[in-house]
Amino acid sequence: MKIQFTPEQIALRDELRAYFRELMTPELQAECERDMGEGGGPLWREALRRMGRDGWIGLGWPESLGGRGLTPLEQFIFVEEVMRAGYPFPFLTTESVGPILAEHGNSWIQREIVPKILAGELLIAIGYSEPGAGTDLASLRTRAERDGDEWVIDGQKMWTSLAHFCDYTWLAVRTDPQAPKKHKGISMFLVPNSDPGWSASPVHTLGGVRTNATYYDNIRVSDDHRVGELHGGWKLITSQLNRERLSLINFGPSAELFNATVRWAREAERPGGGKVIDTSWVQLNLARCRAAIECMKLIVYKQSWAMTEGNLDMADASAAKVFGSEAFIELYRALGEVVGHAGLLRDGDGCDSARRLERLYRTASIITFGGGTNEIQRDIISAAGLWMPRASR
Amino acid sequence: MDFGFSDEQRDIRELARQIFSEQVTADRLRAYDEYAEPRFDRDLWQILVDAGLPALAVEERYGGGGFGLMELGLLLEEAGRSIAPLPLVSHCVGGLLPLQRFGSDAQKERWLAPAARGDVLLTAALVEGGSGAHCLPELTTATREGEELVLTGRKLAVPYASQADRILLAARCDNEVALCWLDPSSSGVRLEPCQATSFEPQARLELESVRIPAADVLAWQGGASLLEWLVQRMTVALCCHQLGVADAAMRMAASYTAERQQFGVPVATFQAVGHRMANCYIDVECLRLAGYQACSLLAEEQPATLETRIAKVWAGDVGHRVSYATQHVHGGMGIDRDYPLWRYCLWLRHNEMTLGGSSAQLAAIGAGLAAGEGLFA
Repeated sequence: MKIQFTPEQIALRDELRAYFRELMTPELQAECERDMGEGGGPLWREALRRMGRDGWIGLGWPESLGGRGLTPLEQFIFVEEVMRAGYPFPFLTTESVGPILAEHGNSWIQREIVPKILAGELLIAIGYSEPGAGTDLASLRTRAERDGDEWVIDGQKMWTSLAHFCDYTWLAVRTDPQAPKKHKGISMFLVPNSDPGWSASPVHTLGGVRTNATYYDNIRVSDDHRVGELHGGWKLITSQLNRERLSLINFGPSAELFNATVRWAREAERPGGGKVIDTSWVQLNLARCRAAIECMKLIVYKQSWAMTEGNLDMADASAAKVFGSEAFIELYRALGEVVGHAGLLRDGDGCDSARRLERLYRTASIITFGGGTNEIQRDIISAAGLWMPRASR
Repeated sequence: MDFGFSDEQRDIRELARQIFSEQVTADRLRAYDEYAEPRFDRDLWQILVDAGLPALAVEERYGGGGFGLMELGLLLEEAGRSIAPLPLVSHCVGGLLPLQRFGSDAQKERWLAPAARGDVLLTAALVEGGSGAHCLPELTTATREGEELVLTGRKLAVPYASQADRILLAARCDNEVALCWLDPSSSGVRLEPCQATSFEPQARLELESVRIPAADVLAWQGGASLLEWLVQRMTVALCCHQLGVADAAMRMAASYTAERQQFGVPVATFQAVGHRMANCYIDVECLRLAGYQACSLLAEEQPATLETRIAKVWAGDVGHRVSYATQHVHGGMGIDRDYPLWRYCLWLRHNEMTLGGSSAQLAAIGAGLAAGEGLFA
């Protein structure tokens, strides 16, 4: 039991922090702001390729897969720092689908796809939800049918975030409509978004972030594009979602936002004299946030450690997702109260925390249902963590 | 970064769990309900002493195990899991640790080995009243008269005071804080038993011109920093104990709801029940991580003021929520004295409120932030 970084890990963190301070030019920052913290712009693309060239993206991947052979903890330090710097890192590609492709992909994927992910040249969107399949994902209807050496894919996906600037979609399709249990008849494909049968139409959300409905019209792909076992896609989906849930809970930006808000409150004048932080309820709000983010940090460190040890627990991954997502929302509220009315103005009235909090409030609500609703996560926790029986459904 | 346990730590935990699960039965706990007798199982204490567990963190040359606070924390977690009727927090943390760390050579020669053997029982009087997390003496004063310290004042809810051979306490001495080992049989000492919620034997301590010989003084002055050192360790000890209590109560509720049938199905299959228990699981995990972090830092004598306060915030919030959630999903069984849960809930309350509840800890964290401390690295 030693919950501290090694000197080497601290040095890595410092090196990364300096690296990103230099990488995040004002122009790149402005572009990321414009793109609502989702990325996709030309400067953003170039920065990702640079991270790839500099060997950062696969820091914690095994050398046999093209990485630098450090542990998931170092990988985690990298992701924390890149997110902390305000760069919208495409973690779904690199941290969640990427490792599944590296582990289960055939030789074409190993050769053509994985190296490009590590080079920062290839982006993948996730195609799970459909108009009629959300939390009950296994009832998806998009299908792939065998035709000679090829597969023919038809259907529609919903909430395919980032798809409008991604290169591929990690697509869940039904390959066995006769399977006795519906989740047994699903396979995974990697579908090129450049295919003429692929199209996307934008869905605009509360916070201003764009997501997509995506359409798959008679798309023909070779069997190379199929990942893992035929009809064995469910295992890959749950494994990807476990990783996604962890990636969603990233304490770096929260720690940075907290620090910035505390610094602001120490300096900002309070009407009637003193500083904002002299107010007792402000101190209480900040203390609550401090205690919550500390646990967020410990949870993600423990999960990174568990991944390093090779025993990531399903209940713990879900617990991280529920705790983190609900803590984020409380955090944005409590810090929003501290910055006051400026947090309702898009420019934050000169307070950078307020400007960020204004947007975070608008965009944060996705996180309690994205990546699997928290209700399903709680079902998983009570069943896998406490051995409580579940209702059949 | 290592969240795992060493082989020795695992052995300690297993040994403690085995002893407690065999020895601490509902029947034996029942004997102490409603203060029928002082909640101190001396037979179990002897078994624990024979296994070397209370002296885990005492140096080997004094007959201890040579381990540290982390191992002691694991023992306390197991004690919490069974709510064993033993003075582990007060003796092992409140007494043995400051004696070993700050005691004079003569004090250590006199008491440390017998206390490690369980022949001398120690405790610490840290509470005078009020709600704060700080334990600086306000109501107890001392004057120096020649080679003696003369004490007047009072302490509240001193654990195992009536069983202890020496009580560590602090007194205000001029503008300083003095610390000493009080012999409760000294002239001028009055002990009045308190009826504590948890049934832990506690007493009010009234002191009137009690003369402490120089040999029993731990610090004539500068006691505030020693006291802070001790209070941090006591706080973390409560967190570790709370973790065991909360984890056991949660698992009891999970098992009960998996068995209990209503409308023809186990009540655990209702999402409203499962989700409330999932919240407990997340809460207990937060307490575990925050508690282990503070404990492992203090075990290495690293500064952990903030981490300790955060752990106690979780110990308080989690204790409260787990107590009510587990009672609730049990229905009436949760409060029925023929079912074991109710005693756990009393201890969740005890650990929540002792040495400062969540709000007092949060206020201290907030004051630290205002004073320029506490940002993330």
